Amino acid sequence: MKRVSFSRATWLVAQKDLQLEWRTFDALAASVVFSIVVLLVFQFAVGGGPARQLSADALVPGVLWLAISFSAVVGIARSMDVERHGDTLAGLFRAPIDRSAIYAGKLIANGIRLALLEVVLVPLAMVFFNADLGGAWLELILVLAICSFGLSALGTLFGAIVSRVGRGEALLSTLLLPASTPLLLAGVSATGALFRGQSLTSVSRWLGLAAGFGLLYFFLALATFEYVLEE
Amino acid sequence: MTEAAISALGLTRRFGQIRALRGIDLRLERGERLALFGANGAGKTTLLRILGLGLAPDSGSLTIDGLDPAKEARRARARIGWLAHASLLYADLTARQNLEFWGRLYGVADPSGRAERRLDEMGLSAYIDEPAGILSRGLSQRLSLARAMIHDPALLLLDEPFTGLDPHAANSLRQRLQQTGSQDTSAVLATHRIDDGLALSDRWVVLTRGKIVAEGRSAATDVATVAAAFGIARKSA
Amino acid sequence: MQRIVSRLDALLLILTIGAIPTALWAAFLYAPTEQTMGAVQRIFYFHVPFAVMAYFSVVVLLGSSIVYLSKRNLAWDDLSRAATEVCLLFCTLVLITGPIWAKPAWGTWWTWEARLISTLVLEILLIAALMVRRYADNRDLGARLAAVIGITIAADVYVVHKAVEWWRGMHPEVFKAGNPRSLEPRMTAALLICMGAMFLLCTLLIRLRYRMGRIETRGEALRLENLD
Repeated sequence: MKRVSFSRATWLVAQKDLQLEWRTFDALAASVVFSIVVLLVFQFAVGGGPARQLSADALVPGVLWLAISFSAVVGIARSMDVERHGDTLAGLFRAPIDRSAIYAGKLIANGIRLALLEVVLVPLAMVFFNADLGGAWLELILVLAICSFGLSALGTLFGAIVSRVGRGEALLSTLLLPASTPLLLAGVSATGALFRGQSLTSVSRWLGLAAGFGLLYFFLALATFEYVLEE
Repeated sequence: MTEAAISALGLTRRFGQIRALRGIDLRLERGERLALFGANGAGKTTLLRILGLGLAPDSGSLTIDGLDPAKEARRARARIGWLAHASLLYADLTARQNLEFWGRLYGVADPSGRAERRLDEMGLSAYIDEPAGILSRGLSQRLSLARAMIHDPALLLLDEPFTGLDPHAANSLRQRLQQTGSQDTSAVLATHRIDDGLALSDRWVVLTRGKIVAEGRSAATDVATVAAAFGIARKSA
Repeated sequence: MQRIVSRLDALLLILTIGAIPTALWAAFLYAPTEQTMGAVQRIFYFHVPFAVMAYFSVVVLLGSSIVYLSKRNLAWDDLSRAATEVCLLFCTLVLITGPIWAKPAWGTWWTWEARLISTLVLEILLIAALMVRRYADNRDLGARLAAVIGITIAADVYVVHKAVEWWRGMHPEVFKAGNPRSLEPRMTAALLICMGAMFLLCTLLIRLRYRMGRIETRGEALRLENLD
């Protein structure tokens, strides 16, 4: 029997989560459908009347991050559900691995799921709301990547906490969304700037904040995850 | 002198201020199997959780296979196999995928081959590519046992494994428990079924209110004696 | 040791009882009336200390959460809980006094301004933390999870405040008056008196809630022990 390193354990947990995702399609499908519903409802809410005057670049950043953040909650909650059925979280806790690797593995899986969601959601939002990016795709991807990392980093930690008390999306969103305010503001500001044709450097401090936020919670979670998993 | 599978001295544990364990001394030799009897709330599960390194004792010393869990936590965890109420299986992964995952997590060599062999030993080859969630309770327990043994642990801990099994399934599990592991595999079995416990062990102890109140050699004991030990314990407590 | 502690508690109680009327006097009588906003501006002398005390409670929460995780003594969790609830109280007071000040002064009940938003965020997170405690199967789990949340909240408070400040960008509107340098000396004095009084009150409330928590914890333990 050989010693399982941190990176190997991380990879195994991530792979297992993605494998489960693939077999059930559950969390990803739920996220995608939910986010389309958000787009739809938003359209009903602001699509008519005076809001018609609002240009796409005013609407799209807000609705995009609204949809992403709510769908992230749904996805993370579902992914923690799979560990409840056979109490496998306790099994992971007893395995001869670094407990923080469980966090890192789940973070990777949640991040990938969120990325897949955004691949569907972003073009869809742009079509629904007639938004034009003017070719700044790479910049948009960068903004999405940084902010999604932060959302997943904090979301994975809170997801584990919420699953330990047997609750789901409602409690998770109550915790995650207010706490992610800086991240969401950064996402909306930066995305808005891109849709208005501004360069990323004009919102660099927002990106810096988002990146810092993500790293702060990444390391905080690595340090405290063990306590969350303890029996 | 060979290392003991378990060497515990003075284990105590409180939850809030309930004293679940009030000083447990236990020594289990390599290859020895111990039956743990006791009423609900006596502390059996707490003791097993501490021996399984899922919970830390408040005081007392513990070594697993000669290892100090405080200093060599991961190596100690690698020596332990655990079977309890929860299946510790992923319902949507196949039996094979479950065993491969846990095998890899424990760092075993040739996880796929080992998974196949274990499934064969447990008579589960027919379900090798079926999702674990479709298995009946009896078959699921066998798969959980295969999972517990996938890394050839030195110490197997079983917390009431017969719960929820019909007589046929219980029989089947008992047979497999008898055969599982090698001469060197030690085990602690907590159970309400005194006859099964005696049949599967070399020694037994009775736990009451967090203390060991009676013990004996299984071969020389019958069910009535153990049951009486519960009674004695209640009178003296 | 016990005697010193209960003497300190008595001292704290007496000081607080003395400080509150003093603060009320300072805010409503001693301080001069503000030119533009009139009498309603006096709420400022409480609104600002409420916010500061909320942040002070967060610091206490951070400290006790960290210590609990390392020592696992439930007394620290009782302190965390006390700090959480008192912080919630002060946040609520901020959110109540804010609109009361804003409406007569600027004609609007609510404004999406940095401090109010971050206070609202903090309020929600504190409620969520209390919910996690309540939903947990057992005390130790609840305490541990609440401790991790407590640390996260503390880290978050500053970042949220800064982020919302940037978001509001060019509109320092509401709390320009919060800069002590632009205040008359008597206003500054009144503010400091109120700050001191609120600090005593905050400390007293945390202390009282902590002691209540200790009694509850010990009582629950005795009850459970007698069930055996």
